[in-house]
Amino acid sequence: MGIVEVRDLWYRYPGISEPALKGLNLEIEEGEFILLTGPSGCGKTTFCRCLNGLIPHFYNGDLRGEVTINGLSIRENPINRLATNVGLIFQNPDNQIFALTVEKDVAFGLENLGVEKNEMLKHIDWALDRTGLQEMRQRATYELSGGQKQRLAVASILAMKPKIIVLDEPTSFLDPMGAEKIFNVLLALNKEDKITIILIEHRIDLAARYVNRVILFNDGRIIDDGPPEKVFSAEESRLAGVGIPKIIQLGKRLRRMGVNLEDLPLDALTFTEKLKEKLVNKKISLLVETNTKVNRIMEDSGNRPIIKVCDISYSYPNGVEAIKNISLNISKGEFIAIMGENGAGKTTLVKHFNGLLRPQTGKIFIDGIDSATMSVAALARKVGLVFQNPDDQLFSENVEEEIQFALKNFGFSREIIEKRVNWALNLLDIERYRKSSPFVLSGGERKRVALASVLAWDPDVLVLDEPTIGQDYAQKERLRHFLLQLRSQGKTTVIVTHDVEFVVDSKPRILLMSQGHIIADGPTELVMTDFEMLEKASVSPPEILKVFRSISDLGFPKNVFDVDEAAEIISRSLRGGLI
Amino acid sequence: MSLLEGLRFSRGSSPLHDLDPRVKFFMTCILFVAAILFHEFSMLLIIFLSQIPIIIIGKIIKEWLKTLKGGLLLATMIFVTNLVSLYFFRGQQLTLDMLEYSLALTFRFLIMITSFSIFFLTTSPDKLSLALEKAQVPYEFNFAFITSIRFVPVIAEEAQSIMDAQKSRGLELEKGRFLSRIRNYIPILLPLIVNSIRRSLELAEAMESRAFGASKKRTNLYELEMSVLDYLVLGFTLLILIIIVYVRFFMQTFMPMFPPVRIL
Repeated sequence: MGIVEVRDLWYRYPGISEPALKGLNLEIEEGEFILLTGPSGCGKTTFCRCLNGLIPHFYNGDLRGEVTINGLSIRENPINRLATNVGLIFQNPDNQIFALTVEKDVAFGLENLGVEKNEMLKHIDWALDRTGLQEMRQRATYELSGGQKQRLAVASILAMKPKIIVLDEPTSFLDPMGAEKIFNVLLALNKEDKITIILIEHRIDLAARYVNRVILFNDGRIIDDGPPEKVFSAEESRLAGVGIPKIIQLGKRLRRMGVNLEDLPLDALTFTEKLKEKLVNKKISLLVETNTKVNRIMEDSGNRPIIKVCDISYSYPNGVEAIKNISLNISKGEFIAIMGENGAGKTTLVKHFNGLLRPQTGKIFIDGIDSATMSVAALARKVGLVFQNPDDQLFSENVEEEIQFALKNFGFSREIIEKRVNWALNLLDIERYRKSSPFVLSGGERKRVALASVLAWDPDVLVLDEPTIGQDYAQKERLRHFLLQLRSQGKTTVIVTHDVEFVVDSKPRILLMSQGHIIADGPTELVMTDFEMLEKASVSPPEILKVFRSISDLGFPKNVFDVDEAAEIISRSLRGGLI
Repeated sequence: MSLLEGLRFSRGSSPLHDLDPRVKFFMTCILFVAAILFHEFSMLLIIFLSQIPIIIIGKIIKEWLKTLKGGLLLATMIFVTNLVSLYFFRGQQLTLDMLEYSLALTFRFLIMITSFSIFFLTTSPDKLSLALEKAQVPYEFNFAFITSIRFVPVIAEEAQSIMDAQKSRGLELEKGRFLSRIRNYIPILLPLIVNSIRRSLELAEAMESRAFGASKKRTNLYELEMSVLDYLVLGFTLLILIIIVYVRFFMQTFMPMFPPVRIL
């Protein structure tokens, strides 16, 4: 018998006619590491809630079928009984930390269970060791970084010694480095402590290599289930909403071209190993490498910049020097991605563009005018900033009014407001929600309303802070096409992002930031191949590029990151032709 | 708000920080009672000065000065209103003892805010909650208390993000007359409230997942144990209490330091 058994599970939330889960059947064995994925709204989170009894004990609604955890039925056992078997970890690290110090938070669950003090200390020690937080034991919880907070959430669940840990998009709020640390902690718990892990993730490119089983959800049903190689080699349409990691795409493309690497490799390392086996005894004709020298700082393009940043610095009141002596020119019509580690100063920099922050030294010129002479409202008219979390700005009764808000603030006439609102609603394909409350929309839709509410006044420059965070593949693709469309219309666009694959697909000019400085500036092809600088900014290079870098000693070019191009080169080389 | 700023716990280590919160609270209460029992300037000055060594031991001088600075306006108001009312009630003349009396009341206020900041600046909320637990306060209240402290920085950060987002959409908070200025805050308050409701739901889920309310007999990682020092301080505080009561009720009343000489 499996540790988790699900028999014909149906569930409907109260007040909603469409069931969220439609007849799930599933068995999970002890010690498995499972990736559960599917497009937004497919029922993943609902399924999680069933696993520790939040459904049906916390959420009412209509539950049919049966779920047993370690032999315990979720209907008959209270949540706190199930909690010692299944630990649930949520998306937002802040909303699952209750205590003021790290140690005390790990103790919280144990205190609730009435565990003796000595026993408690043993559990806490173990949990802190396993998550690498031992040194931060006495730290205040609000001082931790996002990644550390999420590891604390894992430790706090771990201390209760559950047999299963379920994580609902635990890395949505983290940068790639923080995400990788979490995954490595989970991997060790799975391998060494035999804890069953069920991981719900959109970021398959990061997670796929760790798991041994993938369960694919769509529309409340399981549409595929098996080892990752098998699930990801299924036909594209099945995976449409999910987004297949680049390396797997490359493997599949090669297979179609007649190059078979047996099991589909899930990460760059295994891919390279398998490819090298194939390449033994093949003679590769070396071709001249394109672009050998990386030009780290881009030359000024002749036209007048729309944003001109001259040697600015800014420190926060707590003494953190967020940006130091930054100079930068952004020309009209450019498409720019700002990348770099958490705390590199990316958001601080863009907040200077519309005057939310004022430089302590240096000057910024917006469209040729010194920004110091302009109010935030006047600057915002020219530079539209869209923040990460749409919930930090939506407040109106309906979507139409939400979009009107800024237009009214800027004093547009009524006819123009009406025209602009229609235009923005159509542009972002949310016309049908015109009279809906923004609060009832899904996460992706709310994000589009927030974007529309800024685009409506047609600012000269559009700045998007972390637009891809928490978005599934289909939503990201939609955003990418939208940005392309804006670009073709000549709109200056700046995005701040951690999402390497998104950047590589969109090919913007990249500004790489680290510790308050811009350390590289140039087109994607140049910056993404500058591994030294990428590492300095804690940006993990694109997977395909990693492959080509490690086979470059065999005569392959180093700067390939496009799937088609990569497949072409590899298959040609295996056929013995020229690269 | 700088008056409250001075009441915020600052992490540090000193004998005062290590003191049992119950003993410390008792000490604070005694200082408080002493301030109310006496109205002579000389005694209040002595009590006030006797607080200074405690502050030095607790290494909270900087924070305490901040409290005083925050209380300065209120202290001045107490001084001025007393003086002015005395001036008018006593035949429109100002004497030296009136000055002394007003100053005494001002010092009473300063002693009170100082004793509060001694307690709150050196007692971590965790310890405070432990003391409340010992005092048989139901755990739910305790939990609510700790959680609200825990979320102060989180919500402050969120409020900042919301303000940034709305300002980026052309919202000008300082624009317009008084009423429309209040209305300007709606785009900030609404998302804050909606987010808080959403957050409370998530918190409830996370609490359930951590077996909240599972056992009737809840244990606690930290326990309060009285050390030798705690007993010593407790004994000393009791002694002070006895002295205060003796001096106040069994010794002859103090005379004002200054005779009622007319100065104005």
